Parts: sequence; structure tokens; C-alpha cells
Amino acid sequence: MPNNDDKILKLLKEQYEKPMMSDKDICKMKQRMEKGKEEKRLLSKKRSYMRLAIAAAAVLAILILPNISSAVAHAMENIPVLGGFFKVITFRDYHYEDERNIADVVIPEISTEGSTDNSSTDAGKKTADEINAEIREIANKWIEEFKSNMENEGYHNIMIDSEVIATTEDYFTLKLICFWAAGSGYEENHFYTIDLNTGKKVELADLFKEGSDYRRIISENIKKQMREQMAADDSIKYWIDNEEYPEWNFNEITDETSFYINGNGEIVICFNEGEVAPAYVGTVEFTIPKDVVADILK
Amino acid sequence: MFHRGNEQEEKIEQTILEKYNSYYRMAMSFVHNEEDAADIVQEGAYKAIKNSNSLKHIEYAETWVYRIMMNEIYKRLNAKKAKSIDAGDFIDLKVEDKYENIDLMRALDSIPDNDKAVIQLKYFEDLKLDEIAYILGENLSTVKSRLYRGLKKLRCKMDDLDMKGDD
Repeated sequence: MPNNDDKILKLLKEQYEKPMMSDKDICKMKQRMEKGKEEKRLLSKKRSYMRLAIAAAAVLAILILPNISSAVAHAMENIPVLGGFFKVITFRDYHYEDERNIADVVIPEISTEGSTDNSSTDAGKKTADEINAEIREIANKWIEEFKSNMENEGYHNIMIDSEVIATTEDYFTLKLICFWAAGSGYEENHFYTIDLNTGKKVELADLFKEGSDYRRIISENIKKQMREQMAADDSIKYWIDNEEYPEWNFNEITDETSFYINGNGEIVICFNEGEVAPAYVGTVEFTIPKDVVADILK
Repeated sequence: MFHRGNEQEEKIEQTILEKYNSYYRMAMSFVHNEEDAADIVQEGAYKAIKNSNSLKHIEYAETWVYRIMMNEIYKRLNAKKAKSIDAGDFIDLKVEDKYENIDLMRALDSIPDNDKAVIQLKYFEDLKLDEIAYILGENLSTVKSRLYRGLKKLRCKMDDLDMKGDD
């Protein structure tokens, strides 16, 4: 029998080895690899900048505090300021590594320390506290999940990181990125936007005139974009117009749908994996053109 | 925190450029569609490079990339199955153009996915069983039993085919 196995396997191997990747696809693969490099650099640059800024602020505080007035020290503390009086610091690092498991977690914290007191900074502090509590809850949930999975067989790898994405004068947005690399791989993003004028957390509804039908208007535009993208490229797939599984189809955004405001002041709607497209597509974003919402914006 | 970033990235890049056809063949044997298979390799290559910092032991680069590719294959497979649950046969007929001996490949396809992956990694890609265990995220004894079970099923299928041929 073993000889027969060899023969079968040899025959199978010949067949198995027939397919070859086309030059076009190899070229596309190389492009994707370059994209991966670029995104990796961006992420690590941001991370090391953040660490450097925190370290620098700490060193300055130690050097200067003993012999300079508190007003100057105060100004120094504001060095890594991001978006007015909010700055992002690392609340806690959690790193774990063994033969099979890796956790690389950096839990961010929005800090308002060192700001002058007035009513909007009070509101800002309260908002920051609420957001920080939520972030910690999410991170702890991920770490607990990681710890309980560690005992199971297989390999587990989690990463939590953050990024400040708002670049407008009016808004500050923190993006929390949670990535689970084991199994099928899973990414989940959370967005927190603060209005820099009021210090309050911004919900989608806050951006629009009262009574306006913003959920429907935005959803219709998203559906239009989905259809256009799918028509232009066969490989793009969203859960829309699917007659077999109508219950999977994207219907309307909710008040819980994530969003942020980009550098052009446009609203960007963000979906997590599997929400509006097959899970392998990952997280997806739709930029809503200004003219679509011009009439209903506050 | 990670000083070895570039060394890992270079090693992974080099691995992908050497082995992409292996990943592609593996993907083809599961998704039976050139477009999907190419997409899997492209996506896997992108993810491997982007997350190259999380490769802790550079000597495991090859199996590490394989593991990412297998995850991509399973991910795509699950999405495809979910989509065509009612459609019955989700094997793309295009496969016939690619393999000359379709009966042989059908026999391999009749084996459960994980068992099939073990056989292919072991006999077609010449990987060791402990490497396969890492790639599939399973322990060694599970991989061994998959191998023996898979081979047994394959043998039965081939016997069926031989009999048909002789008649």
C-alpha cells in the first residue's frame, strides 16, 4: 500500500503544481507589499513620535520644575498638545509574549491636564474621562479575552493602538485600533470625536439640524457609492442588493455607527468588519461629499 | 520596542517573493478560481509585510507567512460558502481548465479542508509536521491524525476511480 500511496501522491502533486500566478497578479502583489510597508512605517512613526513626545515632556518637567516659575513649567507641559487642550498620552502598556502568544497593547488616554480653567475645559475634562473609561473597558475586554484564549491551543496575537486623526480646527478625533491576528484575523476600530469649541463628545446627530433625516440621506449616499464601486470593480463586494439574503443587506446607519470628520471637513462613515461587506474585506469607510449634507448641517 | 523591524520585513519580503507560487497553488486548490486565489496571495502578502513587526523569531518567517496565507484562504472560503449555501455546488467549473486530470483533483477535494491542507503541506510543499501544526494553529497529534485520516480517505477515493477505469 505505501508504494501505491507514493504513486497517487506523485500524480496528485503534478496536478497540484500546474497553476501559476500571472505576471499581472504578481505585479499587483508587489504593489500591495509596498502599500503594507508604507502603512507599517506610518504606524510605527506615529507610535515613536508619541513616545518621544511623552518622554521629552517628562524630562523637561524634571529639569525645569525646581527653578522656574510654575507658569513656565505649565507651558512646557503643553508641548505634546494635539488639538487645543487635548493631548493623548499612554495610560498603560500591556505586553506579553511566549512561544505561541503575543499581546502588544498600548492603551491611550486623553489628557486635559495643564489647561486653564473655564467652562469648556470643564466639559472637556468630563468628556475625556468618559472616553477614557470606555477605552479602558474595551482594552480590558480584549486583554481578558486574550488571556482566556492563551490557554487554548493555537496561536494568539492581539494589538491595540491609537491614532489622532482629526486635523480640523473644530474637532479632535481619536481612533482606537484593535487587531486580533489569530484565527481568521479581525480588526475593530472605535472613533471618539470631541468638539473643540464646547469640549463635548460629538455624536452624529449633533452635526445636523433637529428633525433632519440625516440617517437616511447619508445611507442613500453610501448605497450609491457601494453600487458605483461594485459596478466599476468586480472584486469589490458589499452587502447590498442581495436577493438571496436580504437580511444581510445594508439598510441604514444608526446613531451608533462610527464616524469622524476629515481634514476637508467631510463626514467619514466607518464600518467594522462584516458590517456592510464580507469579513475578509476588513473595515470600510465612506466619505460623504459635502453637497450631500449641505442642506441639513447645523 | 521593536528594533528588528527592518530585518524582519526584509526576510518576509524575500520569503514571499520566493514562495508566492506555493501560496497561489494552495489557494487555488481551495477556492478553484484564479481571481480569488490571486487576491488571497496579494492580501496575505500585504498583511504579512504590514505586520512584520509581530514576527518574533525570524527563523520562523516561512511558516509565519504560510500561516497568514492559510488564514486568508479559510477566510475567503467561509465567505464563499456563506454566500452559496443554497447554490449547492460551490466548486467553480473553471477549475477544469487548470488541472488536466480533474478526477484526481476531485478526489483530493472530497477530503475535509483541514485534512486536505495537511496532506498538501506535507507532500506537495515538503513541510515538517510541527511546521504544519504551527501553520494551522493545531497541535501535533491533531495534525498527525488528520494526515492519516486524509490519506486513508484519499486511498479509498482512488480505488473507486481505478475500478471505474478498469471496467
